[in-house]
Amino acid sequence: MVSIDAALIEFLTSGLVLGAATRDDRLVPDVVRPAGLRVEPGGQEVTFFVATITAGQMLKNVESNRRVALVFSHPQDNRSVQLKGPVLEIRPAREDERPLMDQYRARFARMLEPLGVPPSFVMRTQLWPAVAVRFAVEQMFLQTPGPAAGAPFEGPLRSPGPQP
Amino acid sequence: MIPLREIATCFEGVIPAMMATCSLEGEPNVTEISQVHLVDEKHVALSHQFFNKTQRNVRENPNATILVFAPVTYDLYRLQLRFDHPESEGPLFEEMSARLQVIASHTGMLGIFKLRSADVYEVLSVEQLTSYFLPADPRLDPAAPTTGVLDAMARELRSLRAISDRVNRASCLEALLENVLQALDEELGFHHSMVLLPDERGHLVTTASHGYGTAGVGAEVPLGEGLIGTVAARRRPMRVAGVGAELRYWRTIRAELQHAGKAPAAPEIPLPGLPDAQAQLALPLLVGDRLVGVLALESREAMAFDAWTETFLNILANQIALGIDRAATATADDEAEPPPGQAGRGRSAAAGPRTRVFQLFRNDDCIFVDGEYLIRNIPAKILWKLLRANAETGRTEFSNRELRLDDSLGLPELRDNLESRLILLRKRLEEKCPEVQIRPVRRGRFELQVGCGVQLRESDSA
Repeated sequence: MVSIDAALIEFLTSGLVLGAATRDDRLVPDVVRPAGLRVEPGGQEVTFFVATITAGQMLKNVESNRRVALVFSHPQDNRSVQLKGPVLEIRPAREDERPLMDQYRARFARMLEPLGVPPSFVMRTQLWPAVAVRFAVEQMFLQTPGPAAGAPFEGPLRSPGPQP
Repeated sequence: MIPLREIATCFEGVIPAMMATCSLEGEPNVTEISQVHLVDEKHVALSHQFFNKTQRNVRENPNATILVFAPVTYDLYRLQLRFDHPESEGPLFEEMSARLQVIASHTGMLGIFKLRSADVYEVLSVEQLTSYFLPADPRLDPAAPTTGVLDAMARELRSLRAISDRVNRASCLEALLENVLQALDEELGFHHSMVLLPDERGHLVTTASHGYGTAGVGAEVPLGEGLIGTVAARRRPMRVAGVGAELRYWRTIRAELQHAGKAPAAPEIPLPGLPDAQAQLALPLLVGDRLVGVLALESREAMAFDAWTETFLNILANQIALGIDRAATATADDEAEPPPGQAGRGRSAAAGPRTRVFQLFRNDDCIFVDGEYLIRNIPAKILWKLLRANAETGRTEFSNRELRLDDSLGLPELRDNLESRLILLRKRLEEKCPEVQIRPVRRGRFELQVGCGVQLRESDSA
C-alpha cells in the first residue's frame, strides 16, 4: 500500500483535470470526468465525486469488478499522476461533501482561465446529486508526458519546467 | 451515430482528450492525450511516440473509450473505439510525423523523438454528453452568432473573389504581395500574414509581411524546419491549432528529458512572427510541382483556421503562385512597373552629415551596415554593385537588364527572381538604413538614392 504525502495532496486538490476509468466484464473501458475529491486521513484512500447523471456506466462497472484508475493532470504544465486500486465504497455524496465539489469547480475554473476557458463554462458543470467512490490507493504512476511516463511514482513531484 | 465530420473541431488538438483502456487482466488505465487525429468517417488515429501502458493495453485488448471536447463551444463527446492497426509508413504516418516534428522543432527537439506509429482506431460510437452541463445562462454565456452557414460561405466567397481580383490586377510582384496580404486582413480578418520566397540556397526568405510592423522582412527559414519549412519541403498545406497547448506539451517533455539527464542540445527556436500565436496556417505556393513560395498566416485565436479556411485559401495560394511565377519569368526589361505612388515618392538624395559604413564579407556574400546585419547572397551582391558604381562614378540610375547581364551577380538564367530580390533589398534598406533607398523610376529601371555619406569596406571574412 502506498501513502499520499502532504505535498502530493496539495497538488492533487489544486483544481486539476480529472479522469476516472473503469471497465465492464467484457473489458470495455469507460471514462468519466469526476467533479472533486478528498484524500482520506492517512493518505492511503481517496474518495472522488461524480455527478450521478454522468455516472451510469461507471456505477455498473465498479459494482461488478471494483477496479478503478484516477488520473490527475495539470492543464498548464502537464504534470500528471495516476492512482489505481480497488473500490471500497460507493454511496450517494452527502450534503456536507458538497462544498468540496464547489471548491474543486472554482479551483478548476481558475486553473483554466489563463488558458482561455471562460469560467462561466466551468461553472456550468453538473455537480449535484453526486455519487462518492472511495478506493484504496494500491499503485501510483507518474503520467507526465515524456520518456518516464507510466513509471511507478515515488515522489516528490518535481516543479514544472521553465515555461517561456 | 454523430458523423465524425460534424465534430471535426474536436480533432484539432486545442483541448486534450481523456482516454481509457484496459489490460487483458482487467486493470483499467486512464491518461490525457494531446491530440486525436481524424482519419476518415469511421477512423481516428493516435500518435505512438513513447512506449506506454495505453499502447500495451490496446495491443492485447483493443477496446478504448475517449472523451473529446469541442473548442469554443466546449461540447463533450464520448467515442467508443477499437484499436485496428498501427501504420509506420504511408500518407497518414507522414502527415502525423510531420506535425509532430513541426512543434518539436520549435522546442529544440527536432528529430529527438520519432513517431513510432500512427495507431488507427475504428470508431464504434459517438455520443454527445449533454448531461455534464447545466443549460447555458443567457446572462453569462453570450448567444452564438445566428448567421447561417450559407451566409458565411457566401461572404467568404465574395471576399475570395475580391482578393482574387486584386491579385489579378497587381502591376508587379511587390504590388501583388502587398495587395494580397492587405486584402487577407481587410476582407477576411487575417491580421498577420507573410509571404516567403525561396532563395538560391533553398532557404525561404520573408519578402512581404503584414501585421508585424517593419520587422520580419528578410527573416529566413531553412527548408524542413518549423511549420513553414516543413510545408515547403512537403509541398502540402499544414495548420496547427492550439499552438499554446502543443508548446506546453513539448516543453514538459523537454523538462522531463533534462531531468533524466538527456537534455536536447538545441535551443528553443522562437516562433516566426507572433510570439503568442495560438494558430498557424502555411500553404505552399506551387506552379505544378515547383515551389515558388509559402503563404503563412498566424492568429492569436486557437481556432482561427479550420479545414474550410485551408481549402479556400488554397485556391488563393494557387493564384498567388501563378502571379509570382509570371513576375519571375518575365525576362524583358519592361516587366517592372513601379508600384502605384512609389516612383516619385523617394526621399531627397541630398547627403546629410551622417556617414554609414557598409561592410561586405566576401566569404558568405553578406553585408553589414554600421556593424548590423543587412542582407546576404544575391541581393547583397546587387547592393554592392550599386554602391560601388555610385561611389566611383556618382551614377544613380540602373536597369534590371544590366543586372541580368552581369555574370558576377550569379543570377540564374531561368526564373532569376530578380524582382523579388530587389523587393527584399528595398525593404531591408527601409528597415536598417533608410538613408539609402532603391526606387523604381520607370519600367525596368530604378534609382539609387543616397541621403548620407557612404563608406565601403570589404574583407574576406568576419
